[in-house]
This record gives sequence, structure tokens and C-alpha cells, in this order.
Amino acid sequence: MPSVCFYFQVHQPYRLKHYPFFKIHQDHRYFDHDKNSGIMKKVARKCYLPANQAMLRLIDRHKGKFRISYAITGVAVEQMRKYAPDVLQSFKDLAKTGCVEFLGETYYHSLAGVYDEQEFQAQVAEHAKMVQEEFNYKPTVFRNTELIYNDRIGAAVGALGYKAVIAEGADDILGWRSPNFLYDSTTPNLRLLLKNYRLSDDIAFRFSNQGWADFPLTAPKFANWVHQVSGNGEIVNLFMDYETFGEHQWESTGIFEFLDHLPAEIMKHPDWDFQTPTQVVDRYRPIAPISFGRTVSWADIDRDLTAWQGNHMQRSALQQAFDLGNEVRSRNNPAALDLWRRLLTSDHFYYMCTKWMADGDVHAYFSPYGSPYEAFINYMNVLTDFRQSVLNLKPNSDKEART
Amino acid sequence: MRILMLGWEYPPHISGGLGTACEGLTRALARQGVEIDFVVPHLFGGENAPHMKLMDSTRFAPPVTAMGSSEPRYEEQYQQPVPGAHAESILEELFIPGEVSPERAAERKEKAAAALGGEKGLIRTIRIPSYLSPYMKGLPTRKVKKKRTLPGGTTVEEEIEEFDLETGQSQTQGIILRTLKHAEDLLPAGIRALLPHSLSDDSQGGHYTGDLFSEVGQFTARVLALAKERKYDMIHAHDWMTFPAGVALKALTGLPLVIHVHSLEYDRSGENGNRQIEEVEKIGLDGADTVIAVSHYTRGLINQRHGTSLDKIAVVHNGVYSKGAIDQYRQERNWPSKIVLFLGRVTFQKGPDYFVDAAARVIPHIPDVLFVMAGSGDMLPKMVERVNELGIGSNFLFTGFLKGQEVEKMFSMADLYVMPSVSEPFGISALEAISFNAPVIISRQSGVSEVLSHALKVNFWDVEQLANLVISVLKYPELRQDISVMAGEEVRRLRWDASAVKTAAIYSKTLARFARR
Repeated sequence: MPSVCFYFQVHQPYRLKHYPFFKIHQDHRYFDHDKNSGIMKKVARKCYLPANQAMLRLIDRHKGKFRISYAITGVAVEQMRKYAPDVLQSFKDLAKTGCVEFLGETYYHSLAGVYDEQEFQAQVAEHAKMVQEEFNYKPTVFRNTELIYNDRIGAAVGALGYKAVIAEGADDILGWRSPNFLYDSTTPNLRLLLKNYRLSDDIAFRFSNQGWADFPLTAPKFANWVHQVSGNGEIVNLFMDYETFGEHQWESTGIFEFLDHLPAEIMKHPDWDFQTPTQVVDRYRPIAPISFGRTVSWADIDRDLTAWQGNHMQRSALQQAFDLGNEVRSRNNPAALDLWRRLLTSDHFYYMCTKWMADGDVHAYFSPYGSPYEAFINYMNVLTDFRQSVLNLKPNSDKEART
Repeated sequence: MRILMLGWEYPPHISGGLGTACEGLTRALARQGVEIDFVVPHLFGGENAPHMKLMDSTRFAPPVTAMGSSEPRYEEQYQQPVPGAHAESILEELFIPGEVSPERAAERKEKAAAALGGEKGLIRTIRIPSYLSPYMKGLPTRKVKKKRTLPGGTTVEEEIEEFDLETGQSQTQGIILRTLKHAEDLLPAGIRALLPHSLSDDSQGGHYTGDLFSEVGQFTARVLALAKERKYDMIHAHDWMTFPAGVALKALTGLPLVIHVHSLEYDRSGENGNRQIEEVEKIGLDGADTVIAVSHYTRGLINQRHGTSLDKIAVVHNGVYSKGAIDQYRQERNWPSKIVLFLGRVTFQKGPDYFVDAAARVIPHIPDVLFVMAGSGDMLPKMVERVNELGIGSNFLFTGFLKGQEVEKMFSMADLYVMPSVSEPFGISALEAISFNAPVIISRQSGVSEVLSHALKVNFWDVEQLANLVISVLKYPELRQDISVMAGEEVRRLRWDASAVKTAAIYSKTLARFARR
């Protein structure tokens, strides 16, 4: 009995405020409260609230047969708590249905998995603690930041006791193999669920593209594509940003109607059902081991790390930020530690991406900066202040830095 | 297609970006198969324009033979190629040092052959037998009283000396002058007022010197003499100084007129601009069939300032040529401190004061920086004073006006180029700086910011942000590295060829519209 496995990424970074060089040593409040609050409220209105409502309705309508999973970052939850508590409440309501799985990840949506294993473990633990507290759920499947994965990260995740990792079904990794099965990783007892990027991107990217041959995409049409997997696959992993619903694909595109009809269309075929990642791991046997010799992500057409470390600015900023790790942790100053970790959030480096061309537009769309160069400058000024001032403050005096 | 193009300057004798832009555009248009006769008020020698006919307006000669005769109407004297300075300068450009691919080498060889005469054995530089001054001088004159309306509306009566056509000795001369007079009658009053009473003999008149308006008038009158002699499809006039000539030629010949706005009086002087010049701009804009603006910024400004319909204004961004000399200068760079460069006219339009104020904010944080202001202009004394006042003289250098190789050397020494223009129709110097591998900070109030993604941008009045960006470029080497590489690639895509393709399309559209009338 084949299954559709939905996973949605929910994340909002703490965007930095305009921080010119002259603020260094003068101002230790780094974040743009108004912008972050404004974006959270806007996305709540356009996506989180209506989408959560739609999910609740579907779970209800299908009497528990419709199941989904989320990975919600710690920094997103914090901002929901602060700026849009009704959003957090509606996720809690979803958690109570028992049809929703929450995945583990790094609390700060960072690249710690690539740069600093000690830090990675700490952030994953912090995230698991948050998920337990907020949603009363203990994560058993892991999703690293932006689906960044390689065998080494697999080993680190396995060591933390997770059963499985979800990753990108990149063509060069899969070769002739299909993403529509459960795989073994190179780490014992760690399974891999691989994203079916064609079907996922049909919804996430192509849904409203009028130039696409299959436009308009309807629920019966999509369900038909899914059903074609019958007989040569066991799972169809549909992984995407949650903001697909209402934010990337606006309500006027009909994305919510599509969502509303999709589960019924898929389950019209009596063989098909919906499963969460952990249910998939429990139900299916891995058909083969698969090795991720290179680091894969779900970003851009390259599906690698170049969106975050493709140029000198990004590599330098990342290196300098992570280089502070031992020093920050040794200060035993929770406020400074939290501040530093917020600066590790991958978005800061994504904004510095200069791969213009086709993908560049996506970067520009999500960036609060006029250019990747301004993003770099702003970040480096903040990091300089952090390194030179905040690290040397007494624990009591820098409470104001946590804004 | 043959275009009569009217310009005001041509490299290497240039006072701003106009000449450079005209060179770039005409070279690329020639590659599109457009034939161009390019007229400037005066040539100085040393111009290198094998791609078109570059003409000196003071040398204009209607034919010595009578009009309508079957004799060649127009005597073209081609210079034989001499392996002298002219040829050498072409060779220099073609054979830059360093490794070249076989294809590139073949291309260069071909170009060199063409430049040195190739199949025809000719360098297409035209020299026209000088006519105006000697012949005009020989004509009898008479004194008449004439009313004259000055641009701006004032009417003055003056006694002037006029050629006496009745008793004129040569029939040919009479026809020519009657043609001129006839054309004059067709002209808008604003332009008629500019026309000189007699053509000056001063063939040395440099540009932007003396009375600009009388020079514009002289140029207009001289250009009119040309029109009957060669068949053109269109007139293309660059900036207000040539607009009267363009409008006059249109009136005389009935040819369609394209005017090209590289900058407006407003860009140069703000609200306190010269009313006369603005009036001439307006005459040009009203008389043109199509207006080309160098940026969307300028297109909007033309519409705002002169009410020209946006439908009539097309945008053609400038391009850039990369210079061959970069590597050579690059190696010579051994300046101990970081150089932040301002290069351009030191005038209101260019925002030099913002550069100085930003410098004052940067210097306390980066003690070994050197700010260089290269260029001259009416705000220079004030800038020198301001630098002293701020006490930043030891980190500030004024070079005065630079030209040719000095400019290139300056660009290649710069660690950062800043263009804080208050109002910049395009800003080709930013592209030049990039082609010398310098990162650039440009004001958002510039046309070039429309075409450059890989540049730092700032509102000209935001001195604090300008200073922040300057410090960042100097402090963070990764930024400099990434931005210059990306900008270099971007600029290589901003080829003049793209501008020429667009311009040629505008010609065709204008002609088609014109033909329907």
C-alpha cells in the first residue's frame, strides 16, 4: 500500500536591522523588530493561519487518514510567540490531532551541521526540547537545514538517536534509482526519505506558472501523477516550504482549493494513503543503502551549498562566525550565546548569494537587502560588534542585546 | 542606412562622457551596417574614427561647382594611409600585450589590415576643401538694421553687416546663401535667433569656451550647408548644442530627426539651470520624431521637465569598452595606501561635496586611506576649502583635470570608485572604473544604476551610508574581490553592440512612422 508523505518547512529568520559601521561598539541591538514582526504577521495572515486551518479541516474531514509533518525552527516559534501567538496556538491544535509529526532540526536553522558538530548537537537538542515543550512531541525523524545532507551529517544525526533523515532526491546521488522508496543511509539504523523533487516542485514552484505545459494544475491531475507511481514505488515524498500555500503561491492562484481537494483525490485510489515520516520508516523496508558522497541541499538548480557558501563573502562570513564558537561557549553567558546563534541562521548567508541568473531572482525576492553586498556589509558590521564588544560584556549588562 | 549625426566632441578631445558615448555608439552602429557621417564643430587631429566619416564643421564646403551640375557635388579627399601616429594608435589598440587566442589574433590581424587600408588602401577620414571662410570673406556686404528675438523673449534691434546677395559675384555662392536664408525662414524663432550674422573665421574655437550660444549658432549654420550635398535617411543629434542644427536640418531637408539626450541642463545645474539652454532643449524635444534617453531616469526627467510624451522617448543605455592597458597599469600599482577615487567634473551635478563629507567620516576609522578628487570644475575651490576646514588634507588629494592615459592610470590605481552624483543621466565613468577592476559605489540618482546589479548603491544625500559603504569596501577584502569580479562580468555584457542594435531598431521604427505620414 503506497503512501504520500507530506513534509513542510516552517521558518522565519531574525532579520538584522540596518547596521552601519558606525554602530560598532555603540549599539548591540542587531535585529529589526518592526520588519520581523511585520513579516511574521503578513505570513501568518497569508499562509500560516489559513493553511493551518485548511490542514485541520482536512484531518477532520478524512477522519485522521490525512497526515502531514512539519519542521518548525526554534527562531520561527519564538517569533510566533512574540508576534503572532494565534499561529503558534493553531500549530498546537494540529499537534493534538495525532495526525501531525514534528521533525527535529537545528533550533537556529543554521549550517552547524557543516561547520561545527559540537554546535550542531547543541542546537538539535535545544530544538527537540522546544518541540517537546510546545507540541508535546519527541522528534524521531530529522530534517537538516534546507535539506543539507551528506554521509557525515548522517552519522552525526544517527548518533543523536534519530531513526531517519529526510533529504533531497538529487539526480546525481540517485542515479538510476527512484526516490519513491525508503533507503538505508551509510549510518546503521538511519533511514533516508528522499524528496520527489519533480512532483514537489510541481506544487511549490510551477503551480501558478502559466507558461508551464501542465498549467493549470488540478488535484485530479496531480493525484493521477501520484497514482502512476503504483507498482514501481512505495512512497511519494512531497517536501516543500509551508509558505507555498498563500505566500509563494498566492491565494488567488487557487492553491488552497487545490490543497483542499488533493487528499480526497489521492485516496480515491484505494491503495493510496497518507503517512508521516516516522510511519513510513516503521511500515516500509529500506530497499538498498545509498551514499551521499557530496553535500546535497534542496536549494536552486545546483542542489548543493553554493547558495550559502558560493562566494568569498559567504565563505568568509561563515568561517568568521563559526570561528567564534569555542570563545562564545566558554563565556558561559546565555544571552551572548543566543545572540551568536541567531547570527548563525543560514538566511544571513543566503542573502549574500551572488549567483544571479535564474536562481538569483529567488534570492532577491526573499532578501531584505538591496544587494548581496549590502547583506554582507551589514552582517560583517554586526559580527564585528559582536566579536569586539558583546563578547566582552558582563553577563548582566547585555540583556538589552536580546531583542 | 545613412545617418547624419551631429555631435559636439569626439575623443580624445573631450570634456565629459558625451564624446566617449558617441564613439562607442558609432563604432557599434557601423558594425550594424549603419553608415554615419559624424559632424563636430571642430576636429583637433588625433581623432581615430575609421568606422565612419568624421567631419569638422568649420571645413564644410558646399561644392565649388554649381548645384545641380552633374559634376561630383562633393569632394571627398581620402587620406592615403601613412604609417604615422594614426596608424600606430590603431595598432596599439589592436596589439595589446599578453596571450591571445588564435581566433582573437586573426580578428586583430584583420582589423589591423582594415585600419591600415585593407582592400581599398584608404583610411576613411574625410577632409573637405575649406570653403566658408575664404568665400564668405570675398562677398560684398551691406549694413542693415534687424530685429532679433533672443531666446527668453527679449527683442533687440541691432545694426548688422549682411552679405549682399544682390551684388554677389558668384552664382554658386548666391545659391548657397539663399539656401541658408531659406532654411532660416523655416526654423523656429528660438533657433533663428541663435544663427550668426556671419560665419566666424575662427576655426580654432574650442568647445565650451567663449560664448557657447554663438558657437551653437555657428555650428548650426555650417551644418546646414552640408545637408543638400549628401543623401541621408535620418538626422541624429546628440545633446542640446546640436539640437538647433538638427531641427534646422529637419526643416531644410524634411528628414526625420532623432535626438539623443545624454544629459539635461537640470542634471548639470539643478533648478538654477540656464533658461536659454532649457529652451533649446525643448525646441529639440518638440522638433524630434524620436527622442533617445540614456536611461529610464533621464526619460522620466525629460517627461517631467519638458512635458515630452513618454511614448516618444526610447531608452538606450550606454555600453562600455574594456581597455587593453589595464594589466600594464595594474602592475605599476604600488601605492602604500588605499585609494578612494572621485573622477569627473567638480560641479554640482557630480556631488563632490558628498564625497568630501563622506571622506571626513571614513578617515578616523581608516587612517591610511587616500581620497582622490580628479577633475576640475566650478566647485573645486569650494572643495579645497572644505577639505581644509575639515582638517583632512593629509588624506585628500586634488589632481586637477586628467586626460587620456592619466585617467586610465588613475582608474587602475583606485581601490574604490565613488560616483555620488546628484543627477546623473547615465554615468559611463562607473563602467570604466569597473573595467579597471575597481568596485564602485554609485548614487541611485544615476542612469547607470539601472543597468548595474553588482555595484553598491546609495542615495547621494546619505553621506553616512556612503561612508559606511566606503569603509566596508576597504575593510572587507572579500567584498572587493566578489564585487569586482561580478561587476566585471556584468559590464562585459553591457556591450555597445546591444545599444547599437536598439538604436538601429529605433531608426527603422522612426523611418517607418515617418514614411506613413
